Order: sequence, then C-alpha cells, then structure tokens
Amino acid sequence: MIEKLFFLNKREKFYPEAEKPQGRGTIWARRILIFVVIAYIAGLILGPIITLVISAFEEGYQAVLVALSQPQVLSSMWMTFWIAIVVIIVHGFFGTVVSWVLVRDRFIGRGFLNGLIDIPFAVSPVVVGYMLLLLFGRNGIFAPVLNSLDIRVAFAVPGMVLATLFVTLPFMVRELVPVLEGLGINQEQAAATLGASGFQTFWRVTLPSLRPGIIYGLTLTFARALGEFGAVLVIGGGIIGRTETLTIFIFRALDDRQYISAYSAGLLLGLFSIVLVLGIDWLRRRAEN
Amino acid sequence: MNLNYRMKTYKRLFSYISLFLVTVIITSCSGGNTNIDTSTRIVLAAYTTPREAYREIIPLFQQKWEAETGQKIIFEESYLGSGAQSRAVVEGFEADIAALSLEADITRIEKAGLITHDWRSKPFNGMVSTSIVSFAVRTGNPKNIQDWDDLVMPDVNILTPNPKTSGGAMWNILGLYGAAKRGFVENVIPEDEQAAQDFFLSVLRNVSVMDKSARESITNFEKGVGDVAITYENEVLVGQQAGQNYELVIPRSTILIENPIALIDQNVEKHKNRAVVEAFVEFLFSPEAQEIFAKHGLRSPDPIVAERFTNQYPPVEDLFTIEYFGGWDTVMVEFFADNGIYDQTVLRWQGSNQ
Repeated sequence: MIEKLFFLNKREKFYPEAEKPQGRGTIWARRILIFVVIAYIAGLILGPIITLVISAFEEGYQAVLVALSQPQVLSSMWMTFWIAIVVIIVHGFFGTVVSWVLVRDRFIGRGFLNGLIDIPFAVSPVVVGYMLLLLFGRNGIFAPVLNSLDIRVAFAVPGMVLATLFVTLPFMVRELVPVLEGLGINQEQAAATLGASGFQTFWRVTLPSLRPGIIYGLTLTFARALGEFGAVLVIGGGIIGRTETLTIFIFRALDDRQYISAYSAGLLLGLFSIVLVLGIDWLRRRAEN
Repeated sequence: MNLNYRMKTYKRLFSYISLFLVTVIITSCSGGNTNIDTSTRIVLAAYTTPREAYREIIPLFQQKWEAETGQKIIFEESYLGSGAQSRAVVEGFEADIAALSLEADITRIEKAGLITHDWRSKPFNGMVSTSIVSFAVRTGNPKNIQDWDDLVMPDVNILTPNPKTSGGAMWNILGLYGAAKRGFVENVIPEDEQAAQDFFLSVLRNVSVMDKSARESITNFEKGVGDVAITYENEVLVGQQAGQNYELVIPRSTILIENPIALIDQNVEKHKNRAVVEAFVEFLFSPEAQEIFAKHGLRSPDPIVAERFTNQYPPVEDLFTIEYFGGWDTVMVEFFADNGIYDQTVLRWQGSNQ
C-alpha cells in the first residue's frame, strides 16, 4: 500500500529537472551528445519534410491550391477523414474497455489476449489486407452471409474501416494500460465504499484520471489511421473516387506523374498529423505543469 | 461486495457497447455511397500503363454515348499491376471490364467463373493493344546498352518489376529468355534451355529494384535509380511525352506484348449495364480509339491504324509472340508456377548471393 502511494507521488513528476553535469569533460561529452541528437532527429524528420515542402511549392502556391481542389483529392480527403473518425469512435470506446479489463481483471488467457493486441505492430499492413480478403472476399468465409444480405465489405468502405481498425488497435491500449496500472485501485475502492455504483465510479473517478491518456491515445490512433496505406489499398482496390484514400491518391498521382498533386496532398496529410500530434503534446505538457 | 460492484459495471458497459455498435452501423450505412445507379456506371479494372490513353478515350466515349442515348455514364477506374488487379477481381472487386497486361490474367478471371462469354471472339482475338519489350536508358546511353547481351556487363544496374504482381515483368522475362533461346544473345547456344536460364540468371544478378508494377518501375528509373529499365515500349514513349529525358532502345529480338480486354459477365449482370459496357468494348476496338492508343505509345493491332504510325514504331528484326513458348497456359506452368523456371532461377540467384 505504502509503496503504491509512493509510486503515485513519483509519477506526478514526469519530467524531472535536468541534473547539472559535473566536471569539464562531462560538459563537452554532453554538448556533443546534444548535437548528435539534434542532427539525428533533424536529419531524419526535418530533412524529408523540408524537401516535400520545396517540391510541392516548386510551381508556386497557386499550383498547390489548384492541385488540392481537384475533386479526386477532395473525395479522397473526405474518405480518409471519415474512416479515421469512425476508427477513433470505435477505438475510443473499445480501447478503454479493453485496457480496463486487462488491468483490473485476472482471467484465463489474459496474457494471451495481451499478446494478441500487439500483433498489428508486427504484421505488415499489406498482409492485413489480404487476411481480410480471405474473410470477406468473393470466396471468403463470410461470402455466403454477406451475399445473401447484399452487404459489401471487400472493395468497399466497411472493409477499409476494418483494416484501419486492425492496424490501429494497439495505440489506445498501450497508452492506457500503464496509466491504469499507475492509478491503482485505491480511489475506485474508496468511491465504492462511499456508496458509488460501479458506473459512477468509472465515470467520475477512473475516467477523469484517464482523460489525458485517452486523448493522447486517440490522437495517435487518428494520426495512424490517416496514414494507413497498404491494408486499405489491398482491401479497397484503390478505385478512383470510391475507395481512394489520400495516401492511395498520392500513390496513384506519383504513378500518373502528377508530382505537384502528390506532393501537395502529402504535405497536407503530413501537416495535419504534425499539428495534431504537436498540439496534443503541448496540451499534455500544459496539463502536467 | 467487490463482485457486486463489478457485475453492475459490466451490465452498464454492455448496454454501452450495444449502443455504440448500433451508432457505428448506422453511420457506416449512411456514410457509404450506396445509392449509385450501376446501370449508368462502368467500373474499369486496368493495369498500370495505358492510363494516359484511357484518360483520353473515356471522355470521348462518354460524349458519344450521351449524344446517342442521352445517358450520362460515370466511370470508376482502378489501375494496379496486372496480376494484382486480376486477383482483386477474382476476390470480389466488381469491375465490369478487365483491361490487363496479359491473357493469363484474364484467364484467371474466366476460370473463377466470372467471364462466361468467349472474349477471344472480339477483333484481334480480344487484344486491344500491343507493344514490345524494350529498354529505357539514360540520355546519351552512357553505358552503351544496345541489346540483351549488354545487360550482363558488370556494373549495369537494371530495373524490372516483380512478376508476382506485374504483367510487364512477365513479358520482360519472356522477351529476354526468348531472345536468348532464339540465338540473339552472344555466347548463348540457340535452343539450349540451360544456356538461356543461365543467361537469365546473369541478368537477374544485375537487377537492383523489383517494383510492384511496370509504371512504378519506370517512375523510379526517372528518379535516378539504375542505368536501364526493361519495360514496355509504350512506357518509354509515354514517359518521353511527359517530358522525361531518357532514350528508347529496341533489342534485335523481342516479344510482342498483347494486352487483352474482356467484359466480366457476372458483374455486368449484377450491375445491369451490359449494353453500355459492350458498347465501350466495341469502341475500344474502333479506329478512333485505336488511334488514341497509338498516340500514347501502344502499337495498334489494327493493321490499318498501324500503317499510319509506322514512323513512330520501327519494325523489329526478330519479333516473336507468346506462341513461341506454346501459349500462356504452358508459360504459366513452366515459368511462373511455384517452382517454375522463374522461382528456380531466383533461388539460384539468392543462393549465389550468400
């Protein structure tokens, strides 16, 4: 019990002040290290982004605007956002439930379930697409049911949503599990002793402490859903105007040699994700200070 | 106490799960564009290289059809590697027309029971366009690549797509193999299978990138990868039309690429658009459309149209067809089936790399 409280207190100082280095040698070692880190991150992340910006604006900003207002770009943009929204609704709910059950309960197969959740990290998205085709394709296991109900999953939007759900599953859970473990059950038990119902406890005690984790998890899920390519291409078939997401549009525009369109769309997608992730990071840091 | 607390929570959670499922299902149904009139829509499943031609042919057909019937036709197009596209149709991509790189990819759809008519009864045995396997080299041809032999020189860096997904890649391999077997490669004994296979292996050793489709392969070449891309002649010509600087090299001996097109009966029945789809297929064989294909780098199978473009398409010294290998049925088994000549050669290549 005491240990848990201690642990809780320690968690509150998430970013401890950097300790001052001692001795001249250490200062230089640190400076070199800082330089290496900055060069590494800048080279890896900033380099490609800057190149993308320069290539997109090669023919002026008007060309970018023209490229982005093409109906195919707009429809694929809409498709991408719509899929991402459905995905965060579903994962926002199930991600929370799954994490809660995984942390608070002990049952047979819990370890196995825990392992299963990481599988989307390991499996190539293209393979995910083909697995879904084996289930929902014309010769798939579910084909007779889907045909009789006249529901299309493969080469249609529902299949693309499923593929994105699969690929983004771990983000919420891996964000929430450590938070839930850190919280412990003291507050929940206290609420229960004071007469709160199970739901009240969850809604008023657990959920508020989880909120930053949920928001961060959802952001990562959203950003990942926006960027998904392989799985949605295989299950969606890349039909122009119907199952084309922004990433698939970029892929096709590169094949079409419409480089300005491809780079502009890429820039838009990248900018949106960056703003999203940085914004949430800023919010989180502000909440913690 | 603890158990009670849990039970209650689960009950609540359950009701919320069902609520969410219902909302999600409702949004999925209303969000998808389910209200398309399929009878005035044509879904085209094509391989990657003739897209520039289709971009010109489709509006022309739309105008023509609207003038004749007053109906506006919507086109939905998809461009993937020929093999990948063919598998997608078999897996349930409800395309009305398959325009693919090679006959075997149409046959796969036919064998799945989706094509029930004799598509070969169309003009030119159902082949809507032709091309030849050729090379794209850097401006000025710095590595002096003139023929198949030159591909095996040391430090020649080759691009060719992956035959597991790309039809163009299969044509490339057959062009190379046939040229070797027919005695057009130095130091390779004519009609000697083993010698031809060894030559294929030496070319493979110089291959640096295998892309998913012919188009991806040539655009990577444009970005500066490699010294030579083995590709369709039309890919090089279309690239040059798009302002790319590279040169076309036609080897002395090469294969005639024949690209089939077929209406997919089962999907057309489902979409109730047979009349317009058939009209579109007919239109593709018309001199008008054939000329557009020819403008976009494809050799027309129509002798009259081809006659008009002889300047653009020089004759080949030794042009052979798929029949030289006994047709696609034989080729798919001997070359591209699991453990066929292609797999065996790749195994030897990987073995020698280690």
